Amino acid sequence: MASSIPDDIFFAGITEINQKLKAKEFSAVELTRAFSERLERLGPRYNALALSLRDQAHRAAKDVDDDMKRERYRGPLQGIPFGAKDLLAVAKLPTTWGARPYATQVFDYTAHALKKLDKTGGILIGKLAMVELAGGPSYRYASASMTGPGLNPWDPTRWSGGSSSGSAIAVAAGLTTFALGSETSGSILTPSAFCGITGLRPTYGLVSRQGAMALSWTLDKIGPLCHSAEDCGLVLEHIAGGDSEDPGSAGKSFYYAPAYARDLKEIRIGFATVDFDEWADPAARPDFAKALDTIREMGVQVTDAKLPEFPYGAVISTIISSEGSAVFEPLITSGKVEQLADAKQIAGLRAGLEIPAKDYLKAMRIRSLIQSAFRDMLAEIDILLAPARYGPAPMITQPLDRPLSDRPLPSTPGLSALIPAANLAGLPALSLPCGFADRMPIGIQLVGRPFSENTLLTVGKHFQERTDWHKRRPPMGES
Amino acid sequence: MASKSQARTPHPARTKLTRRQLAAVLSAPALLAQTPAPPLPQNADEELKAVRDQNRANAAQLDKFPLPMSVEPAVHFKA
Repeated sequence: MASSIPDDIFFAGITEINQKLKAKEFSAVELTRAFSERLERLGPRYNALALSLRDQAHRAAKDVDDDMKRERYRGPLQGIPFGAKDLLAVAKLPTTWGARPYATQVFDYTAHALKKLDKTGGILIGKLAMVELAGGPSYRYASASMTGPGLNPWDPTRWSGGSSSGSAIAVAAGLTTFALGSETSGSILTPSAFCGITGLRPTYGLVSRQGAMALSWTLDKIGPLCHSAEDCGLVLEHIAGGDSEDPGSAGKSFYYAPAYARDLKEIRIGFATVDFDEWADPAARPDFAKALDTIREMGVQVTDAKLPEFPYGAVISTIISSEGSAVFEPLITSGKVEQLADAKQIAGLRAGLEIPAKDYLKAMRIRSLIQSAFRDMLAEIDILLAPARYGPAPMITQPLDRPLSDRPLPSTPGLSALIPAANLAGLPALSLPCGFADRMPIGIQLVGRPFSENTLLTVGKHFQERTDWHKRRPPMGES
Repeated sequence: MASKSQARTPHPARTKLTRRQLAAVLSAPALLAQTPAPPLPQNADEELKAVRDQNRANAAQLDKFPLPMSVEPAVHFKA
């Protein structure tokens, strides 16, 4: 379809688009129409679209154009089309949580993070598909979603990753400039790495979850998926902040301040060689090694690191199962849980109701020790660095709870448990695309101490100034 | 109740673990990962049994982890 919007704009960053809007190279209405058309046309191809919001987006874009005509500038997100994972409520419209039992669910309020973006002039053009109930306690297949498996724009026979599947697909395929997702344990980092985009999991409590589906009250976080670290900083600044309606709110704001970034020479980054040499998929090792070299060349201090020793998997699984099954007890006891798509998730929710209080409390007590141990560790090291996932996205039909290869286990654990460990400790993380394996994107993750997002973003920005992985586009036929 | 300073004591349980205890706790997931994966459950009953077995295995791992009595859960109640 003919459009006045150049193709490059679909993959451009927030600042560039905002400058072009201010320069009147195109209007917000033209931009929104072009993105909405693209989202409606290509979103279903990848099972990424839950609900197009074209009409309300058009109205919002007209308001932005009126504001810009009067030179009422509201910041870098003004006029930027974005999408939101369908676990965030939008008043009077369906919010399905990716799950058939909630297909007709409608709330009379809008999620706090979306209201904040609306105030900045960001334009919500669609709600994006997700793994049902954000994955619940666990799921076996990529098809665990009311909208079908998230298909990777780099190769639709592969999974997009989840549970923020539609959010990652939309950004990777240029259907929205950025998207909001959520992470309980890996749901922002995994799809970001598999789809070749940049994802930020904020510190627990930095972004209000009011109006978002709860899976685990003590683990859930809302965060941005974007083209670059810089865009993640800009979005985070506008969604972070205290909220009395979120009991987990830290009451803190965030200001993206690259101008006041710490000198790279002062930043100490810890990593484990075994992650890159043994845990990583052999096809991914060359680009992971180059990423490590790039980090070293930036002038940061690099040192060996290993995780404190805890049974992370058992702790996080017990917590998510207990809290998730408590959240969804009415769904389970009503029998409607059977309408979910994934048999393992159904069984996990049922069995989660049987977990004894002593096990949940023991997991939460061990979690206290995990927090304390990370506090000590991150007094010496600013950032932990590891592959975000050890290899590229699996095939759509592959069981996700089975080993992806028959390679023997590496000699030491390295930072292999970093995703559950850092989520248990409430730590922020940034996923950066860093190359390819089997022609699919791979990424690294940076994890920092609580509320150190600016440090992570500084390192991410410098990494992306030296690489162009975040600018690569999937080979989509667009007919 | 643990005082604030107790709660911040760096990693108190770690110092109380013997090498043997630590090895038992940490080798469990590695051994599980090295064991060939069981066949996929074929029906809802098998799924439920598999998840219950996993939850029991998780509980057993938690039980092996020695916890000082002073350690409180990572939750805050605000009066």
